[in-house]
Amino acid sequence: MNSSGIMLPKEGEPVIVQGITGRYGSLHTKLMLQYGTNVAAGVTPGKAGERVEGVPVYDRVADAVEKTGSRCSILFVPAPFFYSAAEEAMQAGVKLLVAITERVPIRDTLKMIALAERHGATVVGPNTPGLIVPARKVKLGIMPASSFRPGRLALFSRSGTLMYEIANQLSTHGFGQCVAVGIGGDPINGTTITDFFDWARDFEGADAVVAVGEIGGDAEEILAKHIVETGFSKPVFAYIAGRAAPEEKRMGHAGAIIYGGYGTAESKISALKDAGAHVGMTPMEIPLLVERYLRK
Amino acid sequence: MEDVDDASDWVGLPAVVKAQVLSGGRGKAGGVAIVRTKEEARFEAARIFGLRIGGERPSALLIESALTHLREMYLSVSLDRGRRSFVVIASGAGGIDVEAQAGRVIEAVPVSGLPRETAIAVASRLGIRDERGQAPLVDILLKLERLSREEECELAEINPLAVDAAGGSPIALDSKVVLDDNALFRHPELALLPPEDPMEGEAAKEGFAFVRLDGDIAVVGNGAGLVLSTLDLVSDAGGRPACFLDLGGGSQQDRVEAALRLVRRLPNARRVLVNIFGGITRTTDVAAGVKKVVMEAPMQPVYARISGAEEEEARRMLQGTPVRLYPSAPEAVEAVVGGA
Repeated sequence: MNSSGIMLPKEGEPVIVQGITGRYGSLHTKLMLQYGTNVAAGVTPGKAGERVEGVPVYDRVADAVEKTGSRCSILFVPAPFFYSAAEEAMQAGVKLLVAITERVPIRDTLKMIALAERHGATVVGPNTPGLIVPARKVKLGIMPASSFRPGRLALFSRSGTLMYEIANQLSTHGFGQCVAVGIGGDPINGTTITDFFDWARDFEGADAVVAVGEIGGDAEEILAKHIVETGFSKPVFAYIAGRAAPEEKRMGHAGAIIYGGYGTAESKISALKDAGAHVGMTPMEIPLLVERYLRK
Repeated sequence: MEDVDDASDWVGLPAVVKAQVLSGGRGKAGGVAIVRTKEEARFEAARIFGLRIGGERPSALLIESALTHLREMYLSVSLDRGRRSFVVIASGAGGIDVEAQAGRVIEAVPVSGLPRETAIAVASRLGIRDERGQAPLVDILLKLERLSREEECELAEINPLAVDAAGGSPIALDSKVVLDDNALFRHPELALLPPEDPMEGEAAKEGFAFVRLDGDIAVVGNGAGLVLSTLDLVSDAGGRPACFLDLGGGSQQDRVEAALRLVRRLPNARRVLVNIFGGITRTTDVAAGVKKVVMEAPMQPVYARISGAEEEEARRMLQGTPVRLYPSAPEAVEAVVGGA
């Protein structure tokens, strides 16, 4: 753990999958195992004793924690049951929760954040593709492994597919990632992009940061202010999607919506440029910018 | 127009005629008028029905009495994303462009609800300090916050709230509510409300996201961010998107088929751009879905970029179909915009 309070999983870190017996839970358990993640236990109430891809299933998170000593969990639980599953994990001592679950009500997310603060837990998401640490062969997420390579860029993205696409182009250009994290597509994220920048500042394995944002809210504006105020010294590359998006329309992600001129791509791009970030106008431009400014 | 006559008889003149639309900024778009005679009411009603506000024609009018009041106020409970909290926003002046005005009072709302003391503090900071004036405002604030919390609204707004000259109860002259769609499973009665756009509702049922736009190039892809960035590429190249369509992650063939059939029926779509970056989404599933739809009935020309795992197989599946394949997103965009 560094001063940001964010703890990334180590190589071989035991991981719990909540909702392991569902369609996505079982598919991604298989894919995470293939990548090298140590999926040590699964949880689905009423399914104790079963196995998914050889991984033992328990009824309760507390049982899984007791058997494996795990402090990390990835959640595939359906939205109506998400809050109580997150609460159960925190009460059982889980300190890193990766919330893949989509369509979580905003008030459940707010309650969960208050709870995470009390428990000293980090929540990534909800509505995130998760995180991947290529050098440690740890994938806590649903991203396609083939896009990512070990390296020295920290990649943070509000969008899943754009993260895969940009990671893939960076990898092709020879720029691997020390970590890639999906912040989540919802209006409220358990851990903000600003929190992740604090982590990246102190992480020696990160030479530069790539931030992928989109319309809606003011997370990028807050980030830009933070970059200036804290004198963030590593190079920052950014892409913001949605310059052509209309107002008051929710563009796929619950969080991707402009209200009354608040949350526009222009505002985010100019804030980040003013903070000294290299902003690409297309995803394809990001690896070119990295090449130009990082290989000097 | 007889309805307009009846309504102005009913509320009395002078009256205010207001467009009923789902977007904001109605006043600025000319959707609100004060009328003094029945002739004026009919004239303004016809004019407002002819407007397009936020791309939408007004489906109904609200005609209400033009009150003489001392002041108009703005009250709302909304999500403040930066603070990661709901907030109460109150201002002494209602009407248009409230967001741009200084002199607003903003207070965070705890997860458990707005405490009465905070509501009293909001009223005091607006300069309403005497008990007779404060009590009704505090009451409205607390009720508005309870509505927002219990029905799980992203926004609950009264704008304007008229405080009349006679010292009577404040009157909500207009209001707006935005529900948290993700919480509808706890509010089955609200889930019955019709969707803003029938095609958007149909898409939601099929499990993909669709937003109607006013151009002529339908933009389809997997992942909200990827489709957003494709819209940007299309408009940078001088094209105009006809829709935003996100197939979602892990797209199955039947969802791809439903999406393309919907695009086929979209009247303003003259060409279709499909941008897929396969990962968990299997490019072969997408190709199979696209192939099925383009072969079963005539369709607008489809321009596609399909990249990612199993892309060679996906491209091979589309050979011999009218689908035009391009190796990169910018090339596909250039072709679809040029209409080549």
